[in-house]
Amino acid sequence: MFSKIFTPKNLRNLVIILVVAGILFLAVSGYLTPIFSFSISPFISAQSWLSQRYLAFSDFFNSPRDMATLRTENARLESQVAMLQSEIVALQERMAQSDILYTLLDFARSNPEHEYIAATVIGREVSPYLQYIIIDKGSNDGLRHGMPVVTQQGLVGRIDALISDAARIQLITDANSVVNVKLQTAQVEGLVRGSITGEIILDMVPVGIEVEVGDVVMTSGLGGTYPPNIFVGQILTMQSRENVLFQTSSIQPVVDFSSLSAVLVIKNFDAVNIAPLVP
Amino acid sequence: MISLLIGFAGYAATLMLQLSVFSQWKILSGSADLLLLFVVAWCLQDRSKNLWLLVLIMAGLTNLVSALPFYIPMIVYFAIYFVMQQFHKRVWQTPLLGMLIVTFGASLLQAVLTIGTIFIQRVDIDFSTALVEITLPSLLLNMLLAIPLHAIVRELSYLAFPKGVEA
Repeated sequence: MFSKIFTPKNLRNLVIILVVAGILFLAVSGYLTPIFSFSISPFISAQSWLSQRYLAFSDFFNSPRDMATLRTENARLESQVAMLQSEIVALQERMAQSDILYTLLDFARSNPEHEYIAATVIGREVSPYLQYIIIDKGSNDGLRHGMPVVTQQGLVGRIDALISDAARIQLITDANSVVNVKLQTAQVEGLVRGSITGEIILDMVPVGIEVEVGDVVMTSGLGGTYPPNIFVGQILTMQSRENVLFQTSSIQPVVDFSSLSAVLVIKNFDAVNIAPLVP
Repeated sequence: MISLLIGFAGYAATLMLQLSVFSQWKILSGSADLLLLFVVAWCLQDRSKNLWLLVLIMAGLTNLVSALPFYIPMIVYFAIYFVMQQFHKRVWQTPLLGMLIVTFGASLLQAVLTIGTIFIQRVDIDFSTALVEITLPSLLLNMLLAIPLHAIVRELSYLAFPKGVEA
């Protein structure tokens, strides 16, 4: 029976299987790695050399087409970048505009006694001697002559003239502007006048009254031109001369008139025209 | 008619530029008056008979947007018109010099009329402050801008008055 199983042929097959299994075991165990590396490295070097030559050859013929594709792609990306940059600028402008509008909205919410119409400043007076601005709302939006105009900081002026879709605002810094005001701390009333250079001056304050730098100036409501308790500015410097009845002070306005971009028009305040009563 | 339309369009564009840009460019408290410069430059180029109508329209447009009394632009613009008519009659050969001289005169006239009007309205004016802080800086800006505006208006006038065609 053994002589039938261990025939020379079977023995040879068994030896071959054992040898192959042994080699596999050695390979899996990592004992043959140096041998493989040594025997494969010439092939890898040859393959690498061949591949590099082929790529160089291929680039030589294909690069012009790739350059054209890259240039097209570059131009497309550049135009896309330019478009995105312009979008960023537009969005930044909108953000700035939104910030201003949100601030105005906050002001309107914190002063609910008045109804407001927000307007954008679209122009400034032609003559340097006069202080006016032009806004993008007019009689079609419910604006009327004499309505007061404010920002979140304080008083701006009042509507001087209007057409259907625009209005001209006389700023409190204009030479012809007069605002009845009161000093918050001294509880005294006076007049704020504009000037041709755009400065504002507190006038008609009796000499005996102590006015201090930094005192807050607010509208008094007298005269019916402006509603009361709107901030106008703060006392900057005082001028008191001998033999005069009233002292004058320069005022630092709370509103930056040089950078006005949006304003609020107080809609529910009717200015009273007292000109016929003035003797 | 074409010159009237082109002049009107040019003035309208200048008006928008003045309101939005040039009124905010200030030296001290003075600013340039691009509208006045346009009137001077256009009157220098335009020799048509209906120029007075365009001057009237320009003054009307200025009155529409400006708080200046209506008579100030009327007086100043028509003064420019009449002076330029005299220049044309005497075959004025140095337009740039004419532009500068008339700009200087018209700016001063406008300043005097404006300050006079404000003074009549019983507003306290410090004349030296007005001169130093507004009039002189405005005059300087007007003189500086007169030269480029003259060149632009001259180019614009070629559309209205093609070479060889007398209005």
